[in-house]
Amino acid sequence: MQLTVWTYEGPPHVGAMRVATALRDVHYVLHAPQGDTYADLLFTMIERRSARPPVTYTTFQARDLGGDTAELFKSSVRDAYERFKPQALLVGASCTAELIQDDPGGLARTMGLPIPVIPLELPSYQRKENWGAAETFYQLVRALCLPLAPPPGTVREPRSADRRPRCNVLGATALGFRHRDDVREITGLLEQLGIEINVVAPLNAGPSDIRRLGEADFNVVLYPETASPAAQWLQRTFGQPMTRTVPIGVGATRDFIREVAALAGVEIPPAVLQGDSRLVWYSRSVDSTYLTGKRVFVFGDATHAVAAARIASEELGFKVVGIGTYSREFAREIRDAAARYGVEPLICDDYLQVEAKVAELQPELVLGTQMERHIAKRLGIPCAVISAPVHVQDFPARYAPQMGWEGANVIFDTWVHPLMMGLEEHLLGMFRNDFEFHEGAAPSHLGSTTARANPTEVVTAPAVVELQSQSGEAASEPQVQPAASGPTWAADAEKELRKIPFFVRGKAKRNTERYANDQSVAVITVETLYEAKAHYSR
Amino acid sequence: MSTITVPFPALKSKPRPPDGEGSVQVQLDPSLRIGTAKVFAVYGKGGIGKSTTSSNLSVAFTKLGKRVLQIGCDPKHDSTFTLTKRLVPTVIDALETVDFHSEELRIEDFVYPGFGGVMCVEAGGPPAGTGCGGYVVGQTVKLLKEHHLLEDTDVVIFDVLGDVVCGGFAAPLQHADRALIVTANDFDSIFAMNRIVAAIQAKSKNYNVRLGGVIANRSAGTDQIDKFNDRVGLKTMARFPDLDVIRRSRLKKSTLFEMESSPELEAVKAEYIRLAQALWDGTDPLIAEPMKDRDIFDLLGFD
Repeated sequence: MQLTVWTYEGPPHVGAMRVATALRDVHYVLHAPQGDTYADLLFTMIERRSARPPVTYTTFQARDLGGDTAELFKSSVRDAYERFKPQALLVGASCTAELIQDDPGGLARTMGLPIPVIPLELPSYQRKENWGAAETFYQLVRALCLPLAPPPGTVREPRSADRRPRCNVLGATALGFRHRDDVREITGLLEQLGIEINVVAPLNAGPSDIRRLGEADFNVVLYPETASPAAQWLQRTFGQPMTRTVPIGVGATRDFIREVAALAGVEIPPAVLQGDSRLVWYSRSVDSTYLTGKRVFVFGDATHAVAAARIASEELGFKVVGIGTYSREFAREIRDAAARYGVEPLICDDYLQVEAKVAELQPELVLGTQMERHIAKRLGIPCAVISAPVHVQDFPARYAPQMGWEGANVIFDTWVHPLMMGLEEHLLGMFRNDFEFHEGAAPSHLGSTTARANPTEVVTAPAVVELQSQSGEAASEPQVQPAASGPTWAADAEKELRKIPFFVRGKAKRNTERYANDQSVAVITVETLYEAKAHYSR
Repeated sequence: MSTITVPFPALKSKPRPPDGEGSVQVQLDPSLRIGTAKVFAVYGKGGIGKSTTSSNLSVAFTKLGKRVLQIGCDPKHDSTFTLTKRLVPTVIDALETVDFHSEELRIEDFVYPGFGGVMCVEAGGPPAGTGCGGYVVGQTVKLLKEHHLLEDTDVVIFDVLGDVVCGGFAAPLQHADRALIVTANDFDSIFAMNRIVAAIQAKSKNYNVRLGGVIANRSAGTDQIDKFNDRVGLKTMARFPDLDVIRRSRLKKSTLFEMESSPELEAVKAEYIRLAQALWDGTDPLIAEPMKDRDIFDLLGFD
């Protein structure tokens, strides 16, 4: 095991909480010490839900370990049932409680509660949050639907022509990256195709809804990370086919519509295939080639990372220089994508390794998680967040899906702004030392007298102050580190390098170092820098 | 490097424990319970027809409407050959492709659908002379459990290699309800059967496994088997004569249930279905006492 201060995923019981919290009328009794209750805050402070998660912790303490923790668990189950009157109960242990081996499933089974009790065995030291969510959803679906399943080997009856096709939409959970808005966008899209939504699960579904899953003709899997095992079981047990395409991006949304229409056996109205995408507007704009060839590094959960790489390379004309994921379960998808873009896949959940990779590749845009946002900020590279782990800002008040047509528009804005804002910041930096715009100069509309009278109380726009202080910090950090084995940079050359706009600085640095290597120059001076510039512009 | 000197008598002080005794057996991970399926482990001397018997038995179970999973536990990995019509990659092959990060594997990487819907898995084995066969079986069961395959299965058949050569190869016994022994009516295969009886007796102290019975294969007569059974307390559950059609089915890469019908074949198929039904209905556990090696020679001689 590895000790770390930051992780991409929590332990698997947090995944179980995400499913339990998404559902209605389900309660989760978690055998856990007091400290584990911190997980509530993820849902109340980050997602800002209206209620605490439906989780009862046994909160055993050190002195309980000398007594009967099993009895403590059973009384917690009894109390939770009395108080919350759920229609189904999930029981399990957190990572800490797993070690005392009280077997919550076995204990709860013997209590004879009048509702389904679903034991969760989540190996905390081998698996992580997304797996825990997927396993929990699978166990719940299986426990509630198995009594209604047809005998094994039954072939599914074809849909009668007078009934509209029906589908389930699976995978959205609490604390998911834009799940709330994705569900709205995709259910709208499906309804435009004339497909009825049977059940959306786990988000806002109750046990009675889960029991109806078998009535659909097929399943739409929005998030394979959380819905795959359940959807595969439904396929085996009820003969329901499932979708493979995740509709993130314009191309993927079109593929998704075609796949769904084929599964449902419906015609696609031409207007639906065009949708409300603004990609055409951008593609036809005069400046549409402005960002072409930007080098991007992609990292996140596999589904979002693969989708982001496709959008970047096929829809915006960027160049994917690296792709990776923290979820081992989906390493295969990332390897396939990496092979398509001719890059090395990075499968790891150590953010320090990811940081090293970003520093090495020097991309012009990082598309990652909140973790990569921090990395990119430190390295002075523009960044957009494309995937969980989530942060407060990933739960905006406005409608901001990632999937479908509107999702593609949201993604366009989210990615392009950091690149454009970066340019603005450069302009600010460029004019910083100008006689008219220097720090002590008062804004011209306030008049020269005011400025002279109160030179220290100059009212400056807060945004500018912030930007300046940020770039000030950035300048004081050793932003440009000499390569370990290559030529070293003289102090004056390094200073000169910083004058170069940051969005071409990486390239200038690489070119200069290559030139220095070729010419066997050990120390790069200002002269070397300009010789290299002349050499490459020849 | 530092060395220590061990006095010679200290090395000799402990007598060698008898077969199946001692503390070196790999303990079953308690989380690796197979669940509700009925589990059978098929043992027997090498080349006696375990794989042929297992595959035909698997198909017979599907004819009874059961969902069957057959797990080949032989490094030769051809247990499910007649079901899948090819040599499928083993679990160890699949694990190697993902550098033993088992969480990367998908069901379709190591489970292959065979004739009649039998789900086929080849556990494979470690390289000859190294590794542990028990580890391979343990990993296979763990993977099948993680992928939820065992929850929706009625019958699991372990097809285990030749003889019980170590605690590791006896690992399937830890998961099984009943062990079946395939034997012919000859001294060598009965001798091997005796060792298997000893291994099962040892495992039954800590696990659920019990002896189900004997399957007499490739035998016109059963006098030798009967003599041994009476002596140790075993029973013959089914008998398959030495038919050419069984040999040909193997060459045709197919189970008996796919061969062209003939009166003798129909009889064999009926015998398989009867055996499957008897196993499904449940058999009384047999309490057998293995013989000393010397006593078998005295009982059956060298004929």
